Amino acid sequence: MGIFPFPFQQRVLANGLQVVAVPFDSPGLAAHWIIVRVGSRNEIEPGLSGFAHFFEHMMFRGTPRYPEDRYHAALKRLGADSNAFTSDDLTAYHTLAAAESLPEIMDLESDRFMNLRYEREAFQKEARAVLGEYNKNFSFPEVMIEEKLFETAFRVHPYQHTTMGFLRDIEDMPNQYDYSLSFYDRYYRPEHCILLVVGDIESDEVFALAEKHYGPWKRGITQIRIPQEPPQVEQRQVALSWQNPTLPILTLGYHVPAFSTRAREMPALDLISRITFSDTSPLYRRLVLEEQIAESLVGGAGDHRDPTLFVIQTHAKARALLGRVREAIESSLRELRESRVDEARLQATKSHLRYAFAMRLDSADSVASILAHILQLTADPGGYEELYATYDSLSAEDLQAVARQVFRDENRTVVTLTAAEVPQEGEAT
Amino acid sequence: MGSPISTTLLPSSLSPIVSFRILFRAGSVDDPRGREGMTYLTTAMLAQGGTRSLTYAELLEALYPMAARIDAQADKEVVVLLGECHRDHLQRFVPLLRDILLRPRFDPADFARLRDEAVNYLEKQLRANDDEALGKAVLQSALYEAHPYGKPNVGTVQGLKALKLDEVIAHFKAHFTRESVDLGIAGGYPEQLAVDLAKELAAGLPSRSTERVTVSEPRLPRGIEIVAVEKPCIATALSIGFATSLTRAHEDWIPLLVANSCLGEHRTFNGVLMNELRGKRGLNYGDYSYLEHFIQEGGSTFPVTNIPRRRQYFSIWLRPVPHRNAPFALRGALYFLDRTLRQGIPEADFEATRSFLKTYSRLWAQSLDQRLGYLQDSKIYGIADYLETIQRRLPELTCEEVNAAMRRHLRATDLVVAAVTQDADAFLDPLLAGAPTSVTYDTEGTLPEVLQEDRAIERFPLQVSREKSRKVTPEELFET
Repeated sequence: MGIFPFPFQQRVLANGLQVVAVPFDSPGLAAHWIIVRVGSRNEIEPGLSGFAHFFEHMMFRGTPRYPEDRYHAALKRLGADSNAFTSDDLTAYHTLAAAESLPEIMDLESDRFMNLRYEREAFQKEARAVLGEYNKNFSFPEVMIEEKLFETAFRVHPYQHTTMGFLRDIEDMPNQYDYSLSFYDRYYRPEHCILLVVGDIESDEVFALAEKHYGPWKRGITQIRIPQEPPQVEQRQVALSWQNPTLPILTLGYHVPAFSTRAREMPALDLISRITFSDTSPLYRRLVLEEQIAESLVGGAGDHRDPTLFVIQTHAKARALLGRVREAIESSLRELRESRVDEARLQATKSHLRYAFAMRLDSADSVASILAHILQLTADPGGYEELYATYDSLSAEDLQAVARQVFRDENRTVVTLTAAEVPQEGEAT
Repeated sequence: MGSPISTTLLPSSLSPIVSFRILFRAGSVDDPRGREGMTYLTTAMLAQGGTRSLTYAELLEALYPMAARIDAQADKEVVVLLGECHRDHLQRFVPLLRDILLRPRFDPADFARLRDEAVNYLEKQLRANDDEALGKAVLQSALYEAHPYGKPNVGTVQGLKALKLDEVIAHFKAHFTRESVDLGIAGGYPEQLAVDLAKELAAGLPSRSTERVTVSEPRLPRGIEIVAVEKPCIATALSIGFATSLTRAHEDWIPLLVANSCLGEHRTFNGVLMNELRGKRGLNYGDYSYLEHFIQEGGSTFPVTNIPRRRQYFSIWLRPVPHRNAPFALRGALYFLDRTLRQGIPEADFEATRSFLKTYSRLWAQSLDQRLGYLQDSKIYGIADYLETIQRRLPELTCEEVNAAMRRHLRATDLVVAAVTQDADAFLDPLLAGAPTSVTYDTEGTLPEVLQEDRAIERFPLQVSREKSRKVTPEELFET
């Protein structure tokens, strides 16, 4: 059996909409997902960062046939759990409900993808809900670090801003009503989207419903070009000061290639992430469990359609310990470059990845969520088979080669964040 | 022959995953005075402290190739050790889980690490950098002043610092007993496994019948008591609530479930609060209400299980509001709560909400692990299966019954407000003075009827208690 154990079927409608159906044992329930392969990566115009996420909010503001209140009332009557999220590369709209509600859900969802209509007033109110979302996130220092890390490491590519966008652009969002209309026209088109249905369904029924409800959707015409980030040629550094008490946080970001199921770089870095930075790594054991000079350690790269960052982050126990913690991390990276990882640990990591994947497949919605991830990256529901085959094929030599390619000083951006207060008692100055 | 200990079993031969919820009726209510954090740290020492034969690092190493998980959750009244593995690994996994309970390591180095982590959480995270969690924690502390629920589950700074490892070991022996345990297993495990594990736990856990700590009725707030925490922050986080003696075992619970869903179902656009404050006014990101203590499970909208309490509290959560509009948002929440109580829920909303909950409540337990958690909680509340009860009771309800229950149990006065804000005086002063608190919109086109209602909200009378309202700094909180 393959890594993804459930059979799926797919069709592409005449308008370019890809439809994927996965019958799954979830009596009476079905998950309906629309994956728009558009995220903050597509925000190429200056001053308009955060728009993909903002637009996700606007998609709940109604159509002539289902104005906002009727739309919400319909979902309420169905007892559906309906929400959406946006990331760097995608915007996903997901609804979980009784399988018998699928025709009605398709009717509601297709309508807003084809006929969204909102007034300037509703647009402006929603812009302020987005500011509220930024405000809620910003009490965490890690959010500021993420902003600064990507802003510093990227100078051209839209990954230079987070999915939320720059605060100055969020504050200006109420003034961008006209742009929002062109954003919808440009991206909310069938060729950018994938419809995924998982649960107590028959595939043929899903395809028939998709044809009926999404068939009339018209293709778009806009093509955009996303700028490529030139290679980084020297280390970049930022030191941040935080106005509340915090553990000092050290973050290192290294440029890495785009996600691929075939090329060895990113699968190798997934293995390195577990081997070198997970809670079973020698580095974690030393920093967190034995010497106890750090409270946390993570390292890895999120899957992205364009080249992104491998981010290593640690919360040190005190400011004076930052140097020791950093030296320990760099020593582990040196070891990765200079020697091969232990074969037994490599095999244990491959096993870990396989079982971690299998254990997430416990409900229709989680299966849909996992499949949505590979679909947004590759548009191929079979993508996991290729990815896990690549994991299996990787050798210790491959990991070493990739480590040499990525973990170079000039490819690194360093962000440190410390509390703005004077050093605490007992700390060296 | 019955099991030698309490068990909740949910076998399913179809599932390749096996979940364990080994629950103990022990919680922060059992923490001795001056040793707040005892139960939390004891639980952490189990989940992150290894066994007599394996250090914690070695335990992690053993779990790693299986991608198996051992974790724990400690609340006021219940502690649960969570385990999950693929059925391919049951033979290797179960002895590890068992040894955590029957042969815990209690290593001084782990104790130092976990205590330090808990203190850092209080000092560097909760007080400093998670304003919404801080608001909720301050609300609960204020609601349960001088009550066994009054301290955070993780403990207090001084309580944690005073703790000694031998005290934790003694606490473990006194409270993690065969009398207090419920062994929950769900998924694709063989029947004999449950029998054997129950026998081993019965034989190996200490036996001691302890009286449950009395959890008396908390004090009744007089008027509106505002605790304003002053700290650097870019928006004001607000939590509002009052303690109740209602639990899932109360006959009015299901009617109230409908009423609360109308008022503020978590992270949906169904509630009055969400539609009025966010939808029409754009004040913040979200506005919800709760009948009982609520923790969202990961990124989902659904609640975690295994946090049952003998006392509950009704609360409203307003996500951060720009400082200048925070007093207005507070008034707005209470205005719409009051209006819902006075006008009642209209028949059409009642029908729609009943229909909503009928399906929505089925989504709360999509996995066997979640279903298991609900079954264990029902056992603790002494009720029939909660999720089935919802399905059975909903069709019988009437709108009148829902409105009557709502008026009996909910109110818009005699409550506590916790605000985490940049300038506490600017927040408190107009409310204490009973002065109007206007709203400033920096967007166009607020609807005329909304603006008109805003005039009423700005002046909505609040009986703010001068005696009990106060400004505090984060450093004063959760210290002892």
